[in-house]
Parts: sequence; C-alpha cells; structure tokens
Amino acid sequence: MAGLELLSDQGYRLDGRKASELRKVQARMSVFAQADGSAYLEQGNTKALAVVYGPHETRGSRSKSLHDRAVINCQYSMATFSTAERKRRPHGDRKSSEMSLHLKQTFEAAVLTELYPRSQIDIYVKILQADGGNYSACVNAATLALVDAGIPMRDYVCACTAGFVEDTPLADLCHAEESGGGTALALALLPRSGNIALLQMDARLHQDHLDALIEAAMTACKGVSKVLDGVVRQHLEEVSVLTRD
Amino acid sequence: MEGPIMIKTEKVLHLNSSKGRKVRVVREHYVREQVPCGSSLCQADCLNDGKVLSGDVTHYVVPDVGVVRDFLEILEFRELQGIVFTQTAYQSVQHTRGRRHYNRLRALLKDPRHDCVLFANEFQQYCYCPRDKGESQDKWHTRNVYNAAVWYYNHLAGLQPVVMITEDNDAISEFSALNSGVYVISTREYLLSFWPDLQAAHDLYNSIAQTLQERESEGVEKVYTEHLPAEVLEAGIKSGRYIQGILSVNKHRAQNEAFVRYEGSASKNTELNSDVLINGAKLRNRAVHGDMVVIELLPRNEWKGRTMALTEGQGEEQPLEETQSQPMPSGRVVGILQRNWRDYVVTFPPLEEVQSQSRNSQKILVIPWDYRIPKIRISTQQAEALQDQRVIVRLDSWESTSVYPSGHCVRVLGKAGELETEIQTILLENCIHVPPFSEAQMCYYKKMPVNTEENRWQMASSEVSSRRDLRDTHLVFSIDPKGCEDVDDTLSVRTLPGGKRLELGVHIADVTYFVREGSLTDLEARSRATTYYLADRRYDMLPAVLSADLCSLLGGVDRYAMSVLWELDAETLDVCTVWYGRTLIRSSYQLHYELAQSLLNGEEVEVPELSQLKGSQRDQKLAKLLQALETLTRVARHLRAQRDKGGALELEGVEVRAQLDEEKNITALVPKQPLEVHETVAECMIYANHWVARKIQESFPHQALLRHHPPPKQDFFNHLIDCAKARGFSIDTRSNRALADSLEQAVDPQDPLVNRLLRMMATQAMSNALYFSTGACPEEQYYHYGLALDRYTHFTSPIRRYADVLVHRLLIAAIQLEKEGSLSKPLASNKELEELAQHINNKNRVMKLQDKDSKTDERCVADAVIYAVRANGFLAFIPQYGVKGAVYLKDREGQVVSVDGDGRCEWKAGTLQRYPDRISSCTSTGTHTFYLFSHVTVRISVEPSRCHADSLCLELVSNKPHCPVQPESQPAGRGRSELVQEVVRRAEEASLQAERGRKPKLSREERQFRQSRTPNLYVLLQEISELALLDLSVCQITNTEEQTCTASS
Repeated sequence: MAGLELLSDQGYRLDGRKASELRKVQARMSVFAQADGSAYLEQGNTKALAVVYGPHETRGSRSKSLHDRAVINCQYSMATFSTAERKRRPHGDRKSSEMSLHLKQTFEAAVLTELYPRSQIDIYVKILQADGGNYSACVNAATLALVDAGIPMRDYVCACTAGFVEDTPLADLCHAEESGGGTALALALLPRSGNIALLQMDARLHQDHLDALIEAAMTACKGVSKVLDGVVRQHLEEVSVLTRD
Repeated sequence: MEGPIMIKTEKVLHLNSSKGRKVRVVREHYVREQVPCGSSLCQADCLNDGKVLSGDVTHYVVPDVGVVRDFLEILEFRELQGIVFTQTAYQSVQHTRGRRHYNRLRALLKDPRHDCVLFANEFQQYCYCPRDKGESQDKWHTRNVYNAAVWYYNHLAGLQPVVMITEDNDAISEFSALNSGVYVISTREYLLSFWPDLQAAHDLYNSIAQTLQERESEGVEKVYTEHLPAEVLEAGIKSGRYIQGILSVNKHRAQNEAFVRYEGSASKNTELNSDVLINGAKLRNRAVHGDMVVIELLPRNEWKGRTMALTEGQGEEQPLEETQSQPMPSGRVVGILQRNWRDYVVTFPPLEEVQSQSRNSQKILVIPWDYRIPKIRISTQQAEALQDQRVIVRLDSWESTSVYPSGHCVRVLGKAGELETEIQTILLENCIHVPPFSEAQMCYYKKMPVNTEENRWQMASSEVSSRRDLRDTHLVFSIDPKGCEDVDDTLSVRTLPGGKRLELGVHIADVTYFVREGSLTDLEARSRATTYYLADRRYDMLPAVLSADLCSLLGGVDRYAMSVLWELDAETLDVCTVWYGRTLIRSSYQLHYELAQSLLNGEEVEVPELSQLKGSQRDQKLAKLLQALETLTRVARHLRAQRDKGGALELEGVEVRAQLDEEKNITALVPKQPLEVHETVAECMIYANHWVARKIQESFPHQALLRHHPPPKQDFFNHLIDCAKARGFSIDTRSNRALADSLEQAVDPQDPLVNRLLRMMATQAMSNALYFSTGACPEEQYYHYGLALDRYTHFTSPIRRYADVLVHRLLIAAIQLEKEGSLSKPLASNKELEELAQHINNKNRVMKLQDKDSKTDERCVADAVIYAVRANGFLAFIPQYGVKGAVYLKDREGQVVSVDGDGRCEWKAGTLQRYPDRISSCTSTGTHTFYLFSHVTVRISVEPSRCHADSLCLELVSNKPHCPVQPESQPAGRGRSELVQEVVRRAEEASLQAERGRKPKLSREERQFRQSRTPNLYVLLQEISELALLDLSVCQITNTEEQTCTASS
C-alpha cells in the first residue's frame, strides 16, 4: 500500500478540504448549570468539553496564592473512549500534564488576572473525541467557558494548528494529517491585537517556511474567532430572550 | 471567512493499527458543490486549471476501479482519448497496488500528451454516495464510479455520451439501462466496438486477462516464505535487526549469488562493512535484481563465501568443487520495500521445450535477455507464433506459491538476431524510450522555427540589439570530430589592445532561447535527458531542426550564443575579469581535431573555409588562425598544469571508433588516437564549466545545479594496489594527488600496457560523478575529485544534455539577478538516464564488435594481457579491441592447459594452483605459470546465444605475446615487406605511447566535451566505473563488460 497522500495534485486534502479551509466548528455555551461557566465545542470530529470554576478563594495551601493576581489552574484530560484504541489512563500522564501547562500559559496571557488577587480560577477541559488539534479545541472551548463564567479577558483566545505539506501550509490538521509525520504548529492568538498567546512546534521546519506557516495559522485563528464570536452572540440572544419575561 | 459551502459527512474505515489489531476509524468527509470537471465542454464555468479534456472526441470514457487497477496499461495507449479517471479509482490504485503502479497513473495524468483528467468525484456533493450497511467495498466503488459517470454526463448537459467500462458483470446488468447517454460495458466490448483497429490494445488485454484468470486458479503449495508486513520491516530496520539495501544479482551466477549493499551508514555494525551475500533462490525469496529489499543476517556458522571460479554463464549450474573465498556476511530476504520492475525483453524457448513444459496449461517459461532476471512465467496462446521473436514482458506478481514470477506480454519487438530488433532490445533493457518526434508535437509547439531553402531563418532584431555582438570583433572557431552536426561549443582567443591582456572566450549554443521552459520541446527534452549516440545512429534530445541547425554553431552563419569571456594577463595567465552573457557570433572555421592538430604541427593542410581564397589573403588568414590555435594551446597547458597541481587524475580507457562505409555498415574498428588538441578543447570547456559553476553558486547558494565527484572508497583500491605490487609498483591512494603521482610513476618501460591497465583499474575504483543541488549538500562536498576543482557543473553541451539547459537558465537568471523559480530539484532521474546512455553505447559497441567478428573471420587471434587471476583461469584484456574476457585454464572434463616448449597450448590432465599474483598449471609435461601482466595470445570467437546477447569466447592459444610472426594470424602469402611495415607500425605505436606518457593526458571528465557520433572514451570509462559501483561482484570477481565468456574447446 502506498502511503497516504496528504495533499492531492488537485489541491484536495484527505477529507476533501482545500489547503486553507477549516473543519466545521460548532459550539454551545452553558451546558452545565452547576459550574460557573461551561462550553462544548466540536472542531470537526474533535470534541471538547470545558468547565470553569471561579474566581474563588485559593484551595489547599495558602502559599500557592499570589498577592497581586489570580492563579489559573488548568487540568486537561482525555476520555478513555476518545481515541480509536481505548485509552488506559485518562489524565495525569506526561502528555496531559504538558497540555495542562500549555493551557495555563495560554490563559494567563489572556485573562485579566490582576483583577482578582489572592484567588484562583479553575479550568477543566476534557477531550471526548480526539481527531487532531486537541490543544486548539481545548483552548477554544475554554475561551467560551470563561466567557460564560463572566471572567474578564483581553480578547477571545483562538487556537488553530497548521501543517506544512509539499511546500503548502495546511490549516487545521485532522488526526491523519497530524500523524502523517509532517510538521505541525499550534498557535493561540488574541485576534484583535494580533498578539500570540502561545506558539508550539516540535518538528523540524526550514526557516524560510516559518513565516508562511505562522501566517496560515493566524488566518485560521481569525476564522475560528469569527465562529466563536457568533456563538457568543447567539448565546446572549437566547439568554436575553429567556430572561426578558 | 466565506469559503464555498461544504457539507460535513463522516465515513467509517476499518484500519489495521500498529499493533496489528483492527481499529474502527471515523474520518470526516467534506463534500461540496463546486468540483472542477476538467472538460472543455463544461457549461457550468468550472474553474478548470491545468489539463482539460478536449471536446472533439466521440465520447468520454470512465473506467471502473477494477479496470484502472488491472488494465491501466491499456488506458496508457495514447490513442484512447477522453478518459475521466475518478478519484475512487485513483485512490483504490493507491491503496491496493504498489507505489510504482500509482506513480504510473500519476505520470499519466500529468502528461500533457495524454487526453485524460482526474475528477474528484468523492468530494462532489451529488456524486458521492456513502457506503450502505453491508455493502461490499467493490460494489460501493462501482456505484460511486457510476454516479460520477452520470453526473459527468448531466454536467456537460448531455453534449458528450459517457461510457463507463467495468469488469463487473453485475454492474453492467444493473446500471446499463438506467440512464440513456451513459453506457456501461465491459472493457473487451469497449475495445471491440470503439477501437477495433487497435490490435496492440486487444493483444495486451487478452494477455492481462489471461494472467489474471490464471492467478485465481493458482495452487497453494508454498515455495517461498511469506514476506513480512511493512510495519514489521520498518521497525526491524530501525532497531538494527534488519538491513535495508538494493539487491544486485551476480550476472555470472544469477541463480545463486546476489548481494545487498547497505544504504546509508552501517555504523552500528562496523564489522559488516562489506556487502551481504544472499546465496540461492530460496534465501533470495522472490527478490529481483534492483529491488529495494530488507534482509536479515544469518547466524555466523551459516555464512558462505563467494565462488571464485569462473563459470559458464549459460546452462545449468552444476555444483563445482567448492572454490570459495572467505566466508562473508550472508543473509536472507525477509521483505521487499520496493519493487523495481521494469519492462523486460524475453525470448521464447524452442518449441520442443515448450511442449514438454506445458501439458495442461498455456503457461510458458520465457527467458529474459538480462541474465540477472529469473525466468518469467507467462500465459499465452501464441507461443508458436512468437518463436524466435524478442518480446517485451512486464512482471505482474510473484506469489509465494510460484517458483517463477508471472508476467504478461506487452509487445513484440521483432525477430531475434536482426540488427533492428537487437538495438531495440538494448534500448529497452536500459529503459530508454525514444519514439521519433511526433508531427503533432512539432505543430503544437507553434513557434518552432523553420530553416529551409525558401524560408530562411532570421535573427530577431530585438535579440540583435540586446545581445553583445561578437561577429566582427572576434575570431570564433569550433573544433569537433569529423562530420559532427551538433556543434555546441566554439572558442575564441585574441590579444587585447595594448598587448598586456589576452581574452579567451568560450561560446556555447544558446539552446534556452529556442527551448522555453515548460514548452513541449522542453518536456520532451527533459524526459530524454540526453542524446544517445550509437555506432550508426543517434537519438537526439532536441528535434533535428534545433540540434543540427539553428542551435548548432555552424561555420559562416550567424548564431545566438551564451558566452564566457575571460581577460587573462598575457604573461602569467591569471584571470583578471570574467564576463558572462548572451552574444551573437559567427563561427569562422569549423575545424576537426585532426585538421587542427596538423595545423599546429605546422603541416601543409587544406582548410576548407580558405580554399576559395588565394595568395597573400589566404596566408594572412591562415596565420591568424594558427596564432589563435597556438595561444589557445598555451593557455590550455597552463590551465591543465594548474589543475595537476591540485591533483587532477588522468584515467584510462580504450576508445574504439567504428568506421562506417557509405551504407552505414561497420567496416573496421580503430582505436582512437589521442591528440593534444583534444585536451586543449576539453581544458577550455572545463574552465568554462568551472567558472559558470562559481557564478551560479554565488548567485544561488541554495539552488544551483552543480556536479560533484565524491572521493572513492579506499577498499575499492585493493585490487589495484595488489596488482601493482605484483609488478613492484606501489600505489598511494590517500588523495587524488598522491594517486595521480603514483600512477604516473608506475610505468614499465618494456610494456606500456601495464600503465594503461593500472589506470583502468583505478577508474573502476572511482565513484560516479553526480549532479546535485547546492541546497541539498554541505559545501565541503562540492569538490570534484577527478578534476580537482572545488566547484564544477555542466554548461557546454546544451544540445546534448538537459542538465546543461538547466544551468543555462540559472546563468541567465544570475545575470539578470532575478530570483529563479524552483530549479533546484536534484536531477536524479536525469542522472540515471545518463548512466543508461553510457550503458547502451557500450553494449552496442560490444555487439558491433561481435557482429564484425562474426562477419570477417570467425576466429581471430590477438594479443592479450592478464590482469586478474581466478581459481580456474584468468581475466585478460585485449588492447586491440578494448575487450576484456575470461580465459579458462581448466575445461569441463577437468583437464588443464599445458604449455609445451614453443609456447603451444594443449589440454591435458593436471591440476591448477592459484596464488595471489599468478596461476600455475601442473601437467605431466611440466609446470607453467601465468603471471599478472604477462602477455599471451588468445583466439576470439563468438558464442551465439539464443536468448541473450552473443558473447565472446577467449581461448588461450599460446603463452607468448601475439606478435606479427605468429603463423596463425598471418596469411601464408604474406611477404617480407609487409612484415617490415608491420614492425614499423608497431614501433610507431610504441613511440606514440611513450609520448602520451610524457604529455599531460585528459582526465575522464574532460573527454566528454568532445562530440563524436561513435561511442567515445568517456562513455566507456563511465561504464567501467558504473560497473564497479553497481555490479558488486565486479570488484573482485570479474571485470568483464561483456556477457560471460565461455571456453569452447
């Protein structure tokens, strides 16, 4: 069997998208009543659930709390049924810890933590189905959950991945494209200011191509931000209709 | 982001996970309304870029998945037009057939000469239908293809009937009546009704269909072990358990010995730096010569040595008494990463054999022309008709249940033994496909300039004004072999006003002006890559109007050129400035080498260009030309001396030139005489190449096309060092400089051949020079070992080599300081083709030689020099013909050669004793020893062969050198005067040899810049070095270029 062809000669990707097209993004906010904020987001077949608690008093040891800003606590986990082969350990493995750390760094850059000194904000994200771009789905879902919780942020944080195949940047990689062995770059963007909250890339890439790749990822993030904005506005409309009477 | 509207669907796949388990995978699948259809009849304004189906065909044909998978070869016929490949079929080929098959389909789709397109039906909203529950994959695929055909018909608003061809009879009955305008028929029916005249396609169809059918009814008894799955192989290679490499079969023991050379570094296993032996067909496990295989090493106690005895190439290989070398790493093939199958030329066995072979089936074992390929099993009913014909066969598969691979017939070449057939065979065996330039191609490329009597080609005035005009200022001339038509290099030299500076100019035909990038001519030239020269014909890279006329820098006409002009200091000859650019030139003299040399020697010769003039005018012109030639020689000597300081090598080979009579028959083979003017021209060309390489490398550090020659591996020199030791010379191979020096000293005053042979062995040890892109290689690897230059490229023969065309484009871009596109892709395929071209030339030369031999006298006797010793004979080199071959000292009955007092040889019972540098035969009459480099007389005869190329046999006649007084070689009536002449001639030759020793000689790289219509020296040298690289057995086992030589006694 010949290997997968990630980008056909006609410019189609495996799933029928063109190079710069995103997967379908769907989202809902306030899916749980108990939490302060929650959101469910699908980016293609990657499904993520984000729940936010806080800001509240620092739990556990007092020493963790900061006198000038809030502590952000992130926990990332994957459902055992999220991958094709059942996962043994849903959280706490090395990959999950790293992902938690990345999420924490991302949201520390976006949330106005200095408004809540000596307090804590908890963000829990769970991947229900993994099909590539787990980090970006988590960031996007958590953003919506934070908005739902009413925590002030500088901007939406929108994340998207981009890969590089046959000299063409591909936006929003699916699992097959991610595992195809090419370069993958994850980028979290504050779209209005154009500031980058987090940028991560493990594989090798020629320096000449980096700008093009980042450019593609940023365009994709801006596309995601439009979708998120639409979701928030629609949610507000629904809520205001409910609360009006 | 307002993109086109896409609808998200999902499809479920069942894949094998890395651990071998079945996994259910859900993939997204986006479908859309706008998918380009790729037809010029499109009514819906599809965004069709790239290839578009023509509208003026009678119908479009949509092949089903099974048809594309199994009958792709039929769809490759250019006569079949308007083919719409569906994505369904395309992907199915990708998944079920190997990469080669898939790449062929891709190439087909890219080829602008083929009227076919790919339609992405699965991404089309109205074409795609999801798989139903319980539906088999084949059915689903067929349904999708049919839907695509219907959509296509409707999309084109019924302007073109659509025919779907399928091998699935259910589909025909199910779909054929559903839609008018969309016809569903079988492939056979399609060919019969639409292409009744295309006999070749019908034959091919029958052949493939029969093979498929036979495969289904195959037995189940396993002959070979199964190959391991790809994942296991990959993991094994990574962990070091398995080794990956290219299999090469020993030509002389094709059934038993094959070797695998490591790819990449074998750093983990330093003790295994040699090749790995694969002994026997079982262990080789269905791998064919050239395949990329994965092997596992056998335990040490099962290691075997390679056979050292010379064997007969044909017939069954009876187990000889074990004369083996040291046990070497041995292994077995566990899997094949990539098949490297090509088209093979085969011959059918004689009729009686066929009948005994096939009692109950039509299966026939045919014998490939190439010894290294196993017999191929094909099914055909035409066995009788194909007797004595050479046939092209393609391999289909090699199941573990079958002893031989199965294949099918593709085309009949012609009767075996006929010259035309044999040449075709050689071309095909080297994967060279050279159809004549088609009329359509010529027409398609509308701007193709014409130059006929009525319609003379004129230079465009814009070009005249933009180019530097050298027509009146410079004396330009060319030096080429006699009768050369494609002149692509000319020279000029003059003293600049003031006398302090010299100006040397090299002017190369400006091919890129005529061959625009991406044009059809360009594409064709790229796929041909080079011009092939055979002894009596030439396959041009460019159409004749360009190669022999408009691009060719003929004498007395205005031509476009690319020039490099150096200003040199008149005294020290150092370069002051260099100028590159496009120019206009008019070559004043079209000289040939012999003429130029005679001029230089001060002989009275007629220059054709001056024959019209008379008196003082003529003398004046002649003096001017002579002065230019002398200056040129001086400059070239200086350049050569400079390179010699750096350690440039001079290598040796024999150039045989075929003399043709009027009917283009070969009348004689003459070794070519080297002249100093050859070197002069070559040196200037090297210089131009070097400076162009510098220029483009500076302008495009990451994408310049250069040529490097990696230093050879030290162990390849072992044979050379050992041989030299036998004669008391020591060869230092630590650097190219040291090697050149020690070769220079290794001269036996009695026997100039010794030095030639040593140089030839050194050539064998060399690696091949390669093209590369500067971006792909670190800077220290740019070095050219043979020429001792830090940067080198090919610039001077754009008419004959495609690489030069690329370099020209780069240089133009560099001059304009513009950024050129992605020219930097390494030209691997180009390189391969080049190698093949050399191969072919040599093969052809051998064939001609045999041809000649068999025509003139069946048995001729010649002088030979022993250059390697084997267990039951030695390898000899015949300088007269440039032929190498094996000479047996032991025949099949175990008798050995004995030498009596006056040097005659007889077969007698006795034994052979082999030493590193000599071999002794002991018989009742005494012991005789043959030393390395000693001269013997051998008789050459031709061993005719049914299936393969005829081979040469060498038979020992005497242990004395073959000299003119030897009675066998001289006709009885030969007079004394003739003998005197003969002696004089030999003396002349000897002095010439001595002279050559003193003069700086050409190195291998330089010689190629000479153009000749006959196989030239460069070709031979390349061939030798290629053999040293490719045929692993060559280094130690045999160095013959020919097929095995058999002793006929």
